[in-house]
Amino acid sequence: MIQKNEAVVEKYSKATRILHHIHTAAFIILFLTGLVLFIPQLGFLAQDSWTRILHRIAAAIFIVAPLIYLILKPKAAIEALKEAFTWGKEDIGWLKAAPRYYFLSDEEGMPPQGHMNTGQKLWWFIVVVFGAFIALTGAVMWFLKTIAPAAVLQWMVFAHDVAFIVMGAMLFVHVYLGVIHPMMTEAWRAISKGTMSEEYAKSHHGLWYDKQMKKDNEKGK
Amino acid sequence: MADKAILYDATRCTACRGCQAICKEWNENDEIIPTKQNGVKSENRGSNENPKDLAPNTWLKITFNELEHYGKVDWLFNRRACMHCTDAACVKVCPSGALYKDEAYGITGFNKDLCTGCGYCVEFCPFDVPRLEGSTILGKTKMSKCVLCTQPSLNRLDAGYEPACVKTCPTDALLFDDREKLIAIAKGKVAALQAKGFTNATFYGEKELGGLHVMYVLNDTPDKYGLPVDPKFPATATAWQDIIQPLGWAVGGLTILGLALNYIIAREAKMTKAIPGKKEKK
Repeated sequence: MIQKNEAVVEKYSKATRILHHIHTAAFIILFLTGLVLFIPQLGFLAQDSWTRILHRIAAAIFIVAPLIYLILKPKAAIEALKEAFTWGKEDIGWLKAAPRYYFLSDEEGMPPQGHMNTGQKLWWFIVVVFGAFIALTGAVMWFLKTIAPAAVLQWMVFAHDVAFIVMGAMLFVHVYLGVIHPMMTEAWRAISKGTMSEEYAKSHHGLWYDKQMKKDNEKGK
Repeated sequence: MADKAILYDATRCTACRGCQAICKEWNENDEIIPTKQNGVKSENRGSNENPKDLAPNTWLKITFNELEHYGKVDWLFNRRACMHCTDAACVKVCPSGALYKDEAYGITGFNKDLCTGCGYCVEFCPFDVPRLEGSTILGKTKMSKCVLCTQPSLNRLDAGYEPACVKTCPTDALLFDDREKLIAIAKGKVAALQAKGFTNATFYGEKELGGLHVMYVLNDTPDKYGLPVDPKFPATATAWQDIIQPLGWAVGGLTILGLALNYIIAREAKMTKAIPGKKEKK
């Protein structure tokens, strides 16, 4: 995997990247067609229910795409799910160093990070947990609208909205850090092309980089 | 203009259901009567009550409540349709402004063109009145309910008429007038009923949900007539609309502001400092 001038490492496999893009597209459609309901002035867009139909199509993709990934790549999927729930002391160190990074762009205090840094892992955790939650509450409103008691549906509307706020706000953060932040040059490259320079991997994902090297060395022997 | 209202006097109602029929006729809500030819099975539900429930094309129906009443079996009739609450939960949760409080008459108006079909009004209505037409699975739906004969081009109130149901009522069980006038009439009727020995006689709708625009004279307690005794504005509607929704806007707004601030800081840092992560060697 060595290119001309630069040593690179693989960060995200092709399957992961495809899932990411499909899931992102579905989520953005869900976000926008849902947002219409919170801006009365935009209500006219939903008038003939077409945003609701679009919301359902995107919801189906949002739910089915990860399931297909789970079937095709069960090992990678389970490993990724484990990652969302594996938190260590490097995460505490990251959180302690985060304010300095936010206000002063000072990265010095950051302890070496794993495959995902704490911030990425937090987002990933939200995607997994709130993603399942928003899918579940949505499914109740979708399929049990005429069956479930009104009180249950009231709480589903409420809960769906809470999940929408959490995921929506964090989506802004995710997009910002991925493509807008001036210093995160390699994040977009990793998710679009799959690779990351060794340099960046060493400095930003030290724990993961060392582990990968060890694995490669063992393979080499 | 003073709020208008309907007063339904259950003691005068004979359940002729003329109101039910004229409601469909005036508001162009067709009814398909099942026949052998079109193969729809007609069902015996052990009651004269028909149809079974409110529906997108049934905005008003008379209910038949067969029960014990002052020591003997009795048949209590009741009028079931939109109550036109002052504090209307449906208006609170409607995301598109399709449901609104009518300034002129105080009723709960509905602009069907604006309806997105989300059905929140169906879930949050304390009286279970709004109905959805169309497929909830596909998502292409519209709500439908009584608008007190204020449909565009079929607006009886603007033309100075009473609603069709009131007009057609042969026993004056339905009255339409200024709400204040009807409250006085209703109190007189209930006092007369109580004097006659109907000690549980109730006037329903004066205070419920800020005051209903369909009020009831009943000669027993509301539950005997299938009415909720103490209907409440759903707490979930308040929690959602007054707490979570503003909070959501605040969270979203502050997030974007926070990111913008960080962008300024990070761009500045990139221009002035050597960044340890990505050393620009060129």
